[in-house]
Amino acid sequence: MYLTAPRRHRVPIALPLALLLTFSGAVLGAKVKLDPSSWGHPAGGDCVSCHEKASPGLAEQWHGSAHARAGVNCMDCHQADAAEPDAIEHEGQVIATIVSPKDCGRCHETEYQEQAGSVHAEAYAIIAARVPALADNLTGPAMQAAGCDQCHGSEVVVRGDGTLDPASWPNSGIGRINPDGSKGSCSSCHGRHRFSKAQAREPDACVRCHSGPDSPDKEIFEASKHGMLYAAQRDAMNLDADSWIAGKDYTAAPTCVTCHMGAAGKIPATHDVGMRNVWSLNTPISERQYLVVLEDGSRLELPADEKPPKRGSEVAKADGTTGKVKVVATPERRRQVMSLVCQECHAKSFTEGFMTQFDDVVELYTAKFGAPAAAIMNGLYGQDLLTPLPFDEPLEFTYWELWHDEGARARHGASMASPNHAWWDGMYLVGRNFYSRFLPEARAIAGDRAAELVDAHLETGGHHRWLDDPRQANPILGYVPSPQPQRTGPASDAATATEPAAASGAAAAESPAGPDVDQTAASQTATAADRPAQEAAAE
Amino acid sequence: MIRLQAPQFITRHVLFALVAGGAGGVVFMFFLLEFDHFTSSNAFCTTCHSMTYAEETYKRSVHYDSPSGVRATCGDCHVSEGLIMATYDHTVGTKDLLKQLFGPKYDDPVVNLVHLPDAAFAARDWFRKRDSATCKRCHTLDAIQGTRANTAAIHQEETEGKTCVDCHYNLVHRKVPDRKTFKRDAWNAMVEQELGLAPGAAAKILAGER
Repeated sequence: MYLTAPRRHRVPIALPLALLLTFSGAVLGAKVKLDPSSWGHPAGGDCVSCHEKASPGLAEQWHGSAHARAGVNCMDCHQADAAEPDAIEHEGQVIATIVSPKDCGRCHETEYQEQAGSVHAEAYAIIAARVPALADNLTGPAMQAAGCDQCHGSEVVVRGDGTLDPASWPNSGIGRINPDGSKGSCSSCHGRHRFSKAQAREPDACVRCHSGPDSPDKEIFEASKHGMLYAAQRDAMNLDADSWIAGKDYTAAPTCVTCHMGAAGKIPATHDVGMRNVWSLNTPISERQYLVVLEDGSRLELPADEKPPKRGSEVAKADGTTGKVKVVATPERRRQVMSLVCQECHAKSFTEGFMTQFDDVVELYTAKFGAPAAAIMNGLYGQDLLTPLPFDEPLEFTYWELWHDEGARARHGASMASPNHAWWDGMYLVGRNFYSRFLPEARAIAGDRAAELVDAHLETGGHHRWLDDPRQANPILGYVPSPQPQRTGPASDAATATEPAAASGAAAAESPAGPDVDQTAASQTATAADRPAQEAAAE
Repeated sequence: MIRLQAPQFITRHVLFALVAGGAGGVVFMFFLLEFDHFTSSNAFCTTCHSMTYAEETYKRSVHYDSPSGVRATCGDCHVSEGLIMATYDHTVGTKDLLKQLFGPKYDDPVVNLVHLPDAAFAARDWFRKRDSATCKRCHTLDAIQGTRANTAAIHQEETEGKTCVDCHYNLVHRKVPDRKTFKRDAWNAMVEQELGLAPGAAAKILAGER
C-alpha cells in the first residue's frame, strides 16, 4: 500500500565519511532513488485545486517547484497514518501539518540519514538543559517560542485535542523535536513550498540563525574576501545547476554551503553540516573533536585530547543511552576534508597557512582567556562565593558574554577570515572584558582570597605577564613620559624645542608634573576598573 | 331541493367526538409547535447543568455573537426543521435526558470533558446523516461570499459530494479531533493535566469508576 511502501535498504551512514578521501569521480548530492510510481497521490489534485484559492501564494510556490515538475504533490509529503500523534483529518484525508525530516526521508533518504545526528539536528537537544536559565528565569517562556526555539527548534507538543501547542508551533528551528520523534526541520533552510536548490545554496539560507552577537557568521562571511567575491560575482555562481560541485560547476566564490556541506572535487556533498569542523567554537573552552558515528546513525563529538573510542565499543550518548561506535573521524581527518574544499581554489600551502592562523587564534583564546576564566568561575562556585543559580550575579553575565558572544565572535571571525570580527568585534572585546570587567569583578567577589582563586589562574602560559611591567612605553594612547627630572629652566626649554612629541601637549611637556600626570592617569584607570567591582561587591 | 342528510352512523355522540377530537388535534398541534419551540431554546437546553459547558464555548463563537446580529440557538442547529422531524428529534433526544438522570454524572466538569468526544462524534454523524440540513436553514451554498478573496469560488468549485460538516466542524464547541485520528490516551492526558487529576484518573472516570 502506498503509505507503507517498503523503504529501500539504507545507505550506510558512514559511507560518505569512509569514502570521503578515496572516492574517485564526482559524487553528486544524492538523487532521489525511489521509483516515481511511488508518488503522485491521487488526492493531491484536490488539495491543489482548493489551495490555489485558499492559499494561492503557497500553491504558486509549489507550482514552481521541482516537486511539482516531478509530480510530487501535497499528499506525498503531508499524508500521515491516523495513529501518528499529530495526524489530523482534513477534507477527508488524514494528514499532518508538520512534514518532518523523516517524512522528507521517504524519498530523500541519504539527506535524512546525514542530517539525523548532525549538530543541526541536535540543536535543540544540545541546549535543552541550558535554555531555562535564560528563557524562563531571565525572561519568560514567551521568549523561548519567539527566540531560542526559532533557531534551535522546539519540542513540538500535540495537545489532546489534536491541535499543535502554539508555544511550540509554528516552528522551523533546525533541531526541532518532531511529533514522530525525528529531529530537525528541512524547511529551516529549504524554504517551503518551492524548495529551490538555488535558495538553499545562498548564504541567506543560513542568515536567520547564523547572525547576531554570538554567531555573526552572515556578517563574517560578508566581510570576508569570500563574501566580497560572492557579492561581485553572484551571476557566475550557477546556483540553479543540478550538479553544483565547487571547482567544476562554479568557481566564482564559496558560500556557507560550499565549505560546510557542498561537493567539491572528490569530496561528496553532505547534510551533516558539522562534519568538516575540527573545533568546538561555541563553548567556553575550544577543543579539537573526534566525530564519532554510532551504529544507530547518531553522532557524538568527543574531545581529541582523549583516546578515540574503539570501533564496536559502547559509548554514552548525550541523552544517557549508549550506542556502539561505527566510525571515528579524527580532527585531522575532518580538517583534511575541509582543506580539500579550499584546495579547489587555493594552493595547499596557502590553505595550511590559513588554517594555522585560525588554529592559533582559537588556541590563544582558550589558553589566555577561556580556560582561566572557566577555572576562576569554577573556583568561585566551588567556594560558595557564587550561587550555582545562573545569572543572579553580575559576574555571570560578564563571563557569559566573554565566551558566548565576544569569544565566539573572535573564533568565528578567524575561522572565516573577517579581520574585524576576529579582532575589533572579537578578541579585542574579549581582552577588554577580561581585564576591565571580569577580573576586577571576580577579585571583588573573591575578596581576601583573590590571589588564590583568581590570580593563580593567570600564571599558566605567561599570557598575562605583560601586566607586571606597568612602566612600558605608551605610544598607543599618546602618553610619552617627560625626560628624566634633572631639570632647570633652560634645559626644560631645550627639551620643549627638540621634543618631536610636543604635539602631545605643550602643557604636559612644560609642566614639571609629569610623574603626577602619570599617577593621576593610573589612578583613574584603577578607578574605572574597580568601579564594576565595587558595584558587584555592593550587590 | 337538496337536503343534507347525515349518514345514519353519525349519531350525536359521534359528532361530538369528531368535533372534540378535531379541536383536540388542533390544540395538540399547537402544543407540539410550542413544545418543540420551547425545547429548542437555549434556556431550556441549559436547564441541565451539563449543557452549560457546551454553552460556554458557544457563547464565544460567531454563531452566538455575529456582527450581522443573527444568533443561532441550540435548536437552530441541533433540531431538524418541520414539526414531524422536530418532534422525532426531541423524542429521540429524550435518551439524553435519561442519561442525564440515570447515566454518568455529566454535571461534573471532568466527567463531561471525558465524554465530550463521544458526544461530538454523535453530533457530527447526526449532521452528516441529514446532509447538514440545519446549517442550510441559514447558509445557502450559492450565496456564500466569505471575507477572503476566494471563499465563494471554493464553495462553488470544491464542494461536490461534500456536506457542510465534512469541512466545518469544531466551529462552536470545544475542539475534538475527527474520529479517525482521535486518540483517547492523549485526550485523557489533556483532561488530567487541565483539571489537575492524577494520571490514569480520566480512564477510570470513563469506565464509570470514581
